[in-house]
Amino acid sequence: MELSAPLTVNWTLSYRCNFDCRHCYSRGYSRPELPLADLLRIVDDLASNRVAFVNFGGGEPLLDERLWPVARAAAERGLRVSLNSNGWLLDADAARRLAEVPLASVGISLDGADPAVHDRFRSRPGSFGRAVAALDHLAAAGVPATVSTVIFRGNVGQYRRIVELAAAHGAGTVYLHNFKCSGRGKDNRAELDLDPDGWRAFYEDALAYRAGAPATLAFDDPILALLGAAGPGAVKGSTCGKLSLHLEPDGVATPCGFIPVEAGDVLRDGVATVWADSPVLRKMRQKTPTGKCRSCASLDACLGGCTARAFAATGSFDAPDPHCWAPGDDPPA
Amino acid sequence: MNGVPVRDPAVVWRDEPAQKDAILRAQAAGEPADDLGWVLLVVRGEMHELNLVAGEIWCLCDGVRDLDAVARELARRYDAPLDEIRRDVDAFVAEAVDQGWLRLQSGGTG
Ligand code: SF4
Repeated sequence: MELSAPLTVNWTLSYRCNFDCRHCYSRGYSRPELPLADLLRIVDDLASNRVAFVNFGGGEPLLDERLWPVARAAAERGLRVSLNSNGWLLDADAARRLAEVPLASVGISLDGADPAVHDRFRSRPGSFGRAVAALDHLAAAGVPATVSTVIFRGNVGQYRRIVELAAAHGAGTVYLHNFKCSGRGKDNRAELDLDPDGWRAFYEDALAYRAGAPATLAFDDPILALLGAAGPGAVKGSTCGKLSLHLEPDGVATPCGFIPVEAGDVLRDGVATVWADSPVLRKMRQKTPTGKCRSCASLDACLGGCTARAFAATGSFDAPDPHCWAPGDDPPA
Repeated sequence: MNGVPVRDPAVVWRDEPAQKDAILRAQAAGEPADDLGWVLLVVRGEMHELNLVAGEIWCLCDGVRDLDAVARELARRYDAPLDEIRRDVDAFVAEAVDQGWLRLQSGGTG
């Protein structure tokens, strides 16, 4: 189904961050930031076009005082507001403020089951303890919490312990994110990313674990089509540019945070116009399969897999996902 | 079965009128359109698309109309036999109640 506007907007108000993570797609990015009045105009535009969800990411959203009025305005206009945080600044007081907005959910990044793995990946000693404490503060304030885990070589062997830990601290859902190999993730890919067979083994294990897991496991990887496990959805393949849109700090849209290709100016033109007219978004929706995708039996459900990964690895939206383990020529690395 | 179907507030949904028009055009041209959606539901992170009839019924489940009123309105809009439409309404609502998207409340406008 082609939508009149995105269902979800992932919004980077700022790229400022207090962390220095080794996989970060955006560390080193910087763009002009909009004054509050312009951010509130964008909220109005999103609400008028019936965008249902807005998720604040970044950067670390809790570093930015503009978050509060923007999130409150979005919630007042009926959007479901969520954010992703590294948890460092999320103390009892911040949790209470988040409850007051109100936030529909808050995602905390947890990339290891112990400080040794998490703190090293996040390059910040003490960050594991602060992330776990953030989950406890959210639970105490009654804010639904989720956990976001980027699967990489260093934590794939302990992901079940991460899920157990997250559930024990009140997280209802754990998002097991595929590794995106954009930005720093690309620089450190050889060290951090799994190979296609590693991804296959991980997904087979996680799908078997899912039914008995103590929290809901969510995946965002179209490559799951290869295991017949692409969830029920209104679109196939990547959802970026079909269901969701990313906003940069200056109001420019990109298909997703991992694809730094400008798709239009939402502040200037409005979200519905950008969504309908952007050639970049059209290209995201109408990929032309190349290489092994052309003869793949899973193409209908997968549509070439994660476009962000394909783009980061090859510069083309249309290349096969570099995580794909289907037989055929390897995509260029 | 009767009662007032009430949407679960946790279900986030949006109708897409342009998609509905496209379905009506496809039907008028004799093309298959049963699988085309125009109402999108997001339920616990999962997405579901409703086709022409299911989407119409969903939109009419406003928490005020009972099932009789939903069927009457739909029969009027599509100039279709009421008993046939009522069967569609009952089937969709039973499925939606089963899924937790709707609950049936007693009372209604009749
Ligand atoms: S070959 Fe292409 S379409 Fe097939 S599973 Fe791999 S990425 Fe998806």
